[in-house]
Amino acid sequence: MCCNLAGIERTGLKYFLEELLVTAKQSPQEQAARAADTAGLGTGPIPAGPYYRADYFELEREAVFRRTWLQIGHISELPAPGSFIVRPVEIADASILITHGRDGQVRAFHNVCTHRGTQLVAEAGGTRSRFSCPYHMWTFSDDGALRSAPDFERFYVDKSQCSLRKVAVEVCAGLVFINLDPEPEQGLRDFLGPIAQQLEQLPVASATTFSEYTYEIDANWKLTYDNFQENYHLRFIHPRSGEAAVGPQNPFGYPAKFGFQGPHRTQTIWSNPDAAPKPFQGFAFGKAFEAAMADGCNMTLAKDYYAIFPNFFMLGSPLNPFSHCVMPIAPGRSRGVIRLYWIGEDERASQRFAREYQMATARDIHAEDRAVIEAGQRGLQSGALSHIHLQEQEVLCRHLYHSVNDQVEAYKARLQSAGGTL
Amino acid sequence: MTGQYALPEGFRELEQFVPTWVVSRSCDRATRRLDSSEEERVAFFNAARDLAAPALELLDKKPLSQLDEREQRLMDLMLSLVHVALAVEIQGDDEPRHARGARHVIITRASSDGPAS
Repeated sequence: MCCNLAGIERTGLKYFLEELLVTAKQSPQEQAARAADTAGLGTGPIPAGPYYRADYFELEREAVFRRTWLQIGHISELPAPGSFIVRPVEIADASILITHGRDGQVRAFHNVCTHRGTQLVAEAGGTRSRFSCPYHMWTFSDDGALRSAPDFERFYVDKSQCSLRKVAVEVCAGLVFINLDPEPEQGLRDFLGPIAQQLEQLPVASATTFSEYTYEIDANWKLTYDNFQENYHLRFIHPRSGEAAVGPQNPFGYPAKFGFQGPHRTQTIWSNPDAAPKPFQGFAFGKAFEAAMADGCNMTLAKDYYAIFPNFFMLGSPLNPFSHCVMPIAPGRSRGVIRLYWIGEDERASQRFAREYQMATARDIHAEDRAVIEAGQRGLQSGALSHIHLQEQEVLCRHLYHSVNDQVEAYKARLQSAGGTL
Repeated sequence: MTGQYALPEGFRELEQFVPTWVVSRSCDRATRRLDSSEEERVAFFNAARDLAAPALELLDKKPLSQLDEREQRLMDLMLSLVHVALAVEIQGDDEPRHARGARHVIITRASSDGPAS
């Protein structure tokens, strides 16, 4: 079939078709260079300080983590009225209580008693509709209201002034996000933009449970996160477990495509069509494929990766639908939380076997990255380098740096114009 | 007479692996892999890999909640095989280096452990 473009000269459709043709003719390397240029990110070296300096970490705390939507959980953790979870956000020195109220509403609060600031709930989660402070037994309902407090008549305040301090919370695609800004600049869906709709097509949106593994690492959160934004290292760090993402026609595993949406970014992972799984691996993948098909999952998004600013990403694969959140703890310390999302509890042996294999496979790959990320941190915080160099494929790392730094610079400007405090 | 056996009929070759590899929680299976010797892993993998298909076929005949004790042990063996297969078939002689990083990556929840409490 041929197409005569003469009749649609100078129309948007022509440009769209040309774009498709250009993209199709480009090698993955050429596409990466093009993306770097079109995103306006430049090609120069990136300052090393933001990856280890304590003063930059302090700025990130205020400019990013206390003002941005942060993924903190999944709605399956709050399955019924009375369900609650408590999650730490170390970089904000915060502990967040999220409740599923008897009225069906999901709410978030600082996990802080409004009497003298004692941390209210010690457990990580459970089922309860009242929360009593262990210190003086102030008791709050799951909507945050102070219900009772011993000898309250002798205080000099009204109970209505003593509700738990609210935190903004919204849910998209089953993912629970909070925002520590008392008045967020934008709602979650505006923040996510078109990615919101894409996330809603992924298994995570229908998931009712998940498997999880975590790690703590002596490395900055951006350095840790960046490891999972580029495939340049695959051949060297994952020579066995990463075989399917490189091949003779794409030896460094350039993504098939990538793009940027505000502070967020996407890529489509390239996979080697000639890669043959090992025999038992093939058997296990076959079981995973059967389970995914039974769930009616969409395979067209299987290689799509969604990076939600600042510290969360999600892979679309129905076989291996995992998210990874890198929580900053200190300038050189982070915690990774990886979750694989499932629709329904395990019902049959093959399904349970397949899920265990998928989780263990992902865990193996993440375990391989840890040592080299920590080695990178040790090198950077020695101060030996003033800058680091990012190549074409590492444009996603470049984009994260710029997205963070743009917010840091904007915060500093606001701070200056406000005379030092915000 | 099946009373002396820990596993369903048809899986006698795996009886010798029951004490070592029947582990009921995912986190403990991952740790068992890391604590095992290469000889232990290879012996189990070689004996079990071709029995995985018939084992799952047998176990798939009823819901997981209705497995009897022997069937549950076979299920747990198959789940340990998952971890051992990755060590033997994928990591190979790189497993000791791999294990150093894996000890820091902790399974905190698994669908195979049943519904979260």
